[in-house]
Amino acid sequence: MSEFSGQTHGDTPAAKSAARLNDEMLSSMAPPTWRWYALAFVLGAVVAWGLYAFSYMVATDMSCTGLNRPVMWGLFIVSFVFWVGLSHSGTMVSAILRLSRAEWRRPILRAAEAMTVFSITVAGLFPIIHLGRNWTFYYLIPYPNQRGLWPNFRSALLWDAVAITTYIIGSTLFLYLGMLPDLAIARDRSSGWRRRVYAVLAMGWRGSAHEWSVYRKASTLMAALIIPVAVSVHSIVAFDFAVTLVPGWHSTIFPPYFVIGAINSGVAAVITLMIVIRKAFRLEEYLTPQHFDNMGKLLLVISLLWSYAYFVEVNITWYAHEPIEWEVFSFMANRYTPILALMILANTVLPISTLCFKRLRRSIGVMLTVSVLINVAMFIERYLIIVPTLSRKNMPFMWGSYFPSWVEISIAVAAFAGFGLLYLLFAKWFPIMAVADVRELKEREAEVRLGRAKLPADVKDEL
Amino acid sequence: METLGIFNDVDTAARAVEELIRAGFAEDRITSLTSVPYPDGVLVKREPRSWFRWVSLAGGIVGAATGFLLSAGTSWVYPVQTGDKPIISPYPTGIITYEFAMLFAIIGAMVGMFLEMGLPPRGGRLYDPSISDGCIGVEVSVASRDEIGRAEEVMKRAGALKTISEGTV
Repeated sequence: MSEFSGQTHGDTPAAKSAARLNDEMLSSMAPPTWRWYALAFVLGAVVAWGLYAFSYMVATDMSCTGLNRPVMWGLFIVSFVFWVGLSHSGTMVSAILRLSRAEWRRPILRAAEAMTVFSITVAGLFPIIHLGRNWTFYYLIPYPNQRGLWPNFRSALLWDAVAITTYIIGSTLFLYLGMLPDLAIARDRSSGWRRRVYAVLAMGWRGSAHEWSVYRKASTLMAALIIPVAVSVHSIVAFDFAVTLVPGWHSTIFPPYFVIGAINSGVAAVITLMIVIRKAFRLEEYLTPQHFDNMGKLLLVISLLWSYAYFVEVNITWYAHEPIEWEVFSFMANRYTPILALMILANTVLPISTLCFKRLRRSIGVMLTVSVLINVAMFIERYLIIVPTLSRKNMPFMWGSYFPSWVEISIAVAAFAGFGLLYLLFAKWFPIMAVADVRELKEREAEVRLGRAKLPADVKDEL
Repeated sequence: METLGIFNDVDTAARAVEELIRAGFAEDRITSLTSVPYPDGVLVKREPRSWFRWVSLAGGIVGAATGFLLSAGTSWVYPVQTGDKPIISPYPTGIITYEFAMLFAIIGAMVGMFLEMGLPPRGGRLYDPSISDGCIGVEVSVASRDEIGRAEEVMKRAGALKTISEGTV
């Protein structure tokens, strides 16, 4: 019999207090309920449908997609850019807050870092799905072979492959590093095969003074290393577009614009996940309105930055009125007016008009609406960057249009379900809250007497 | 040989550390086991220097060399002349070199961290699961069985809930 017992050791007041915190924060690892199984089944069914659609595409050919000449990049590449963007913020927000020692970060760290790992994993599948001959994807890997093939590093596809591999490995290690002390706690509170798995993953962690000292320095170093990687990944995805001579893409603002868009999308997704986790695992005591208030401020700043970058790009296109660029823009504005309007509404008007107000930032319902709509808008933004531009590329005799087929829509929807399923499994098997981090904060919030007052002890280590 | 005392709270554990030092146990032979980190000196003083960052730096240098050799070396071995542009294009070479440097630096940081921590340990080490639930462990390295008895006595006098000389993680 193997289970996560949540059993406590020690019966003294101090031990009970820490044990209670462990119990509450590790409640997500309790044996699954029927609701959990039902959700896992639904998500699994959608993923299975997506796998069927993918198999159908492999068995026939790419003609079952809506891709055509000139629109050779469709929903797969839109999804790729969207998921890379989503992955951007989890690790980056966590790393920035860690480096700036923002204490309120602690309850949201794990949710954000796990989101990065799963969304970049989903993102990494889309270029392979888009390849057409998916089974030859390993041609990207440089190794001596009898075919005499060797990848051409001048190809932007290879830059993506290298950057995404770096980011997947880096963000997984960053997530693992953060979980190390919590895996030891999970090891001590479980039995059977789960205990053996956690024991292997915890690597014999005991929490000695030396281990903590090195661990904290390593966390800071990893945070400093992962931020430039995160920025580079989305910049390189932007290079896929910006280094071409396609009107609307060949723009110097693209890399920073993509990075800002990615952070916008990622911060909104972290807020959405915080709300879901808070409700699902009854973590209201740990994910408080203060956390949503702070994340709301961050989202407001990023929304303003995104709006600035977007309108600079559009205004300059409009003022210059270069014929082909203007053609692309006016085609996009005329053909896709409703979704363009929704994008501007959800990405600019709504966040700026709501997140300025503290009361609204502290409202869970408002934050859920704003954060979900921002990601809808960001998906539309990716679509509007790719599809209208390719539809009206340089040569008028090659102008065309695109609408995704059922195969593409199925795979894109399955990606969302796959992400949800991975997150669901993760939350059941691993601590979804950064237990040691939150408990450390609780310890340091202990009050000390100073004169006649009792004040919170706020001790910060030199790292 | 080691012995481990389990304490209810930080104050009692800190008192035990002081008593152990007073009883003649050198401070570098005493360490604390906790499930949350405490600032330096609350329980024991730690070695401020750390060397694992050098492993990360070495990883970064090896990664940069690997990335450069892969991208520039490929262009060198399989030259593709494009207009009058250089055979080794600085743009892709820079991107691949940078990504490999960062990847290897990150892996180096993790490897170096585990090496410096001494994890995973070669043999079993003393531990008690109650530490996860907030108890504090004070571990003393000793040279003989006599010293184990002496250390245990000091810790029990200082308020240890129990002492352990066997039982590993």
